[in-house]
Amino acid sequence: MSTDDELPADISGPTVPRMILGHQLHRYREAAGISPDRAGYEIRASRSKISRMENGRVGFKERDVADLLDLYGVTENETRAVLMTLARQANAPGWWSKYGGDIMTDWFEEYLGLEAAAAVIRAFELQFVHGLFQTEAYARAVTLLGNTSAPAEEVDRRVSLRLKRQDLLTGPRPPQVWAVLDEGALRRPVGGRSVMRGQLKRLIEAAGQREVTIQVVPFDRGGHAAAGGSFTVLRFVDEDVPDVVYIEQLTSALYLDKREDVDHYLEVLNRLSTEALTPAQTTQFLAAIIKEM
Amino acid sequence: MTEEHSAGQDAPEKDTAGTGIDTTVPHSARIWNYWLGGKDNYAVDRAAGDQYREIFPGITVVARSSRGFLTRAVRYLAREAGIRQFLDIGTGLPTADNTHQVAQRVAPDSKIVYVDNDPLVLAYARALLAGQAEGPIEYLDADIRNPEAILDAAADLLDFKQPIALMLMGIMGHFTDEEAYPIVHRLQAGLPSGSYFALYDGADTNEAFTQAQQGYNDSGAVPYYLRSPARFEPFFEGLEMVEPGLVPVPDWRPDPDAEPVEIYSYCGVGRKL
Repeated sequence: MSTDDELPADISGPTVPRMILGHQLHRYREAAGISPDRAGYEIRASRSKISRMENGRVGFKERDVADLLDLYGVTENETRAVLMTLARQANAPGWWSKYGGDIMTDWFEEYLGLEAAAAVIRAFELQFVHGLFQTEAYARAVTLLGNTSAPAEEVDRRVSLRLKRQDLLTGPRPPQVWAVLDEGALRRPVGGRSVMRGQLKRLIEAAGQREVTIQVVPFDRGGHAAAGGSFTVLRFVDEDVPDVVYIEQLTSALYLDKREDVDHYLEVLNRLSTEALTPAQTTQFLAAIIKEM
Repeated sequence: MTEEHSAGQDAPEKDTAGTGIDTTVPHSARIWNYWLGGKDNYAVDRAAGDQYREIFPGITVVARSSRGFLTRAVRYLAREAGIRQFLDIGTGLPTADNTHQVAQRVAPDSKIVYVDNDPLVLAYARALLAGQAEGPIEYLDADIRNPEAILDAAADLLDFKQPIALMLMGIMGHFTDEEAYPIVHRLQAGLPSGSYFALYDGADTNEAFTQAQQGYNDSGAVPYYLRSPARFEPFFEGLEMVEPGLVPVPDWRPDPDAEPVEIYSYCGVGRKL
């Protein structure tokens, strides 16, 4: 029953309220001069749990929020009411929750929340076209690569989840997406030549959208900067929320938000984007590959 | 003085692995981004920015006030002066209120040509500025030391029969007077009458500011020199000054609710007769 009308609330899910609430809790804790350890002790949790809460990365038990507000001396009823409402919203399921636990791991669910909350999405893709730009046929081919023995119904659900993510780009407040693709991701004919041609056309189309920038690193450039694999850096509207680096692995994912780590990935992205073809050159390059294919 | 000036951003000469990005020396656009509260900077920039701030704590306010002048000047040019074409040289990394956003908020059909010669600035501009544009914008990879080439290339988007606002925001400090005045005059010479010229730069009227800038110039970054207010005047030679003339940045047509701050950067807007 998902319609375009309900996209705004539907698409953003619990991550934005988590970030806002986390940020508020962080401010109140600092103002009260209370250490993360002490705060963690109060709610029978660890220091790192407090940090994850304050960065908006986990859901909140209402009782924990109430206990923390007591500890921080936040007594004003109105303020508490607003924060408790946020805590409830922060636990509301995102649009992706209905896709079922068999195809939806916790780490991917977390990523979808962050992606939906991002103001800027920067990605480097070495192997495949970025999920936000995949055609249905390409998405199906990629899904089959990783799930050769999955029943058709499951494959359908996985594909539809992949495509649903793209609603982000047509929603009312699309993020800016700046993707750098290795030439290899364009040359590898995932799903066959005809699927790939359709996918490359889709990329040209996507690049025409105002919020989207696509740059290709041709084979003859970028050897040194592309060390490592694909990754994504997410930036959020709230300046106090740190950038997050997301690296997907075969059975799990890595999230990095320490400044030193993020710096490193930003630097790689910056190097890649300066040596890649410009967005205008990229469009020509894509058109040329389509002809060759 | 060295000869490694650029169009306002650093042009590193060290090994940069072909990308033009050197992460071992501070980079003026990235430090500026840091002072403005952005996240597109590296440890080396933050260290240099912090060191600067220790000597001259006012630099954060200078950075913010300077951006404030850009906003007020562009708003004035678009709204009061009816300018619809902007040539912004030495763009820097995107921030909250970039020239085209301010101009296109007043008139969505405003055309903007950004010019820079720093690869990182250009990459960011192409990706992130375009995403926020309501109207036509263009980016030129060009060196301000060749003003005629910039004017030529800008003519692809801008109509040189109509007035154009030329903006040099905080970049002429990278040049000595001998270099800077001719560059500015050659750029102005190419503009039709009725065009405008807006500039701000750091001034040498504060001891701590001067000292911090000296330390920065010694760090290996592309140097930036503070000028005495009197040395700003030749930039506006032959132009009709828009009120209140050449003044410290906060005094140029302040917003009604602006809090008074003491800032050691000077600015002005002039009109070509």
